[in-house]
Amino acid sequence: MKSLLATLALTTALTLPGLAMARPVTLTTTLNSYGGDGAYLALYVTDASGAYMGSLWMAGTKSKYYEHLTDWYRATGGDTAQVNGITGASVGAGRTLEITLDLADALFDAGYTLHIDAAVEDMRDSPNEVAVPLTTAGAGTPVTGRRYIASFAYDM
Amino acid sequence: MRKILTLLVASTALTAVIGTTAWSAMNAAPDGSPRPFAAIWQDATQSLPLILASDDDDDDDESHGSRRDHDDDDDDEDCDDDDDDDDCGSGAPNPAPAGTVAPPQNGLFGNGAPPQVQVN
Repeated sequence: MKSLLATLALTTALTLPGLAMARPVTLTTTLNSYGGDGAYLALYVTDASGAYMGSLWMAGTKSKYYEHLTDWYRATGGDTAQVNGITGASVGAGRTLEITLDLADALFDAGYTLHIDAAVEDMRDSPNEVAVPLTTAGAGTPVTGRRYIASFAYDM
Repeated sequence: MRKILTLLVASTALTAVIGTTAWSAMNAAPDGSPRPFAAIWQDATQSLPLILASDDDDDDDESHGSRRDHDDDDDDEDCDDDDDDDDCGSGAPNPAPAGTVAPPQNGLFGNGAPPQVQVN
């Protein structure tokens, strides 16, 4: 009986820190009715110095169009390994993309910024369409994009 | 032993007949008049037009060993930019869709639930 309790205590002790180090975060992006094809969106994070840290999501599955997500493409060199497993379909005009990710706690209140680059076929590219600091206080606060994004918010 | 000899003689005779025919067909007389067997060949070349096998692009399903055809009649797997299928392999490969592989180990993700996406 004692060994069972000890085992349970040990597994709990090992599991809790892991749970505490990440949390589900929902990223909600609503597009304007811009009257074009589906938009490609790259969601990625930079640190306080502006250096690329990694990607959170890629909306749009064809790599040949990624060069139009100019800031993301410049930061990554178009490396599709950056978005393996976090890629989905492009988003139509007027639609809302809702992504729930298990994100590290260390991303928040540490000077990181979430960026969104957007591109639409036969329309102007829009790098850095959204740039929003990742803070716990900023959760749930919608921000407006420059061209294609009507609103973006993250919720924890 | 006799059987072998018989077979050898028969095959030699057959070869001689075929060879003579072929030689005759390929060598015309100096005066231009065809020899007996060559006459058949000459007539054939003059009367029968050369018919090429069809090379149109209307077939939709036979690639004959190549990965895919590149005609303009179908709606899949060609090289134009208007379709929603694969491109022709230039540049980087398309990334793995969400749910097929784990997210990249870039320090941004925890080890918990996989990404969930919804478009409304």
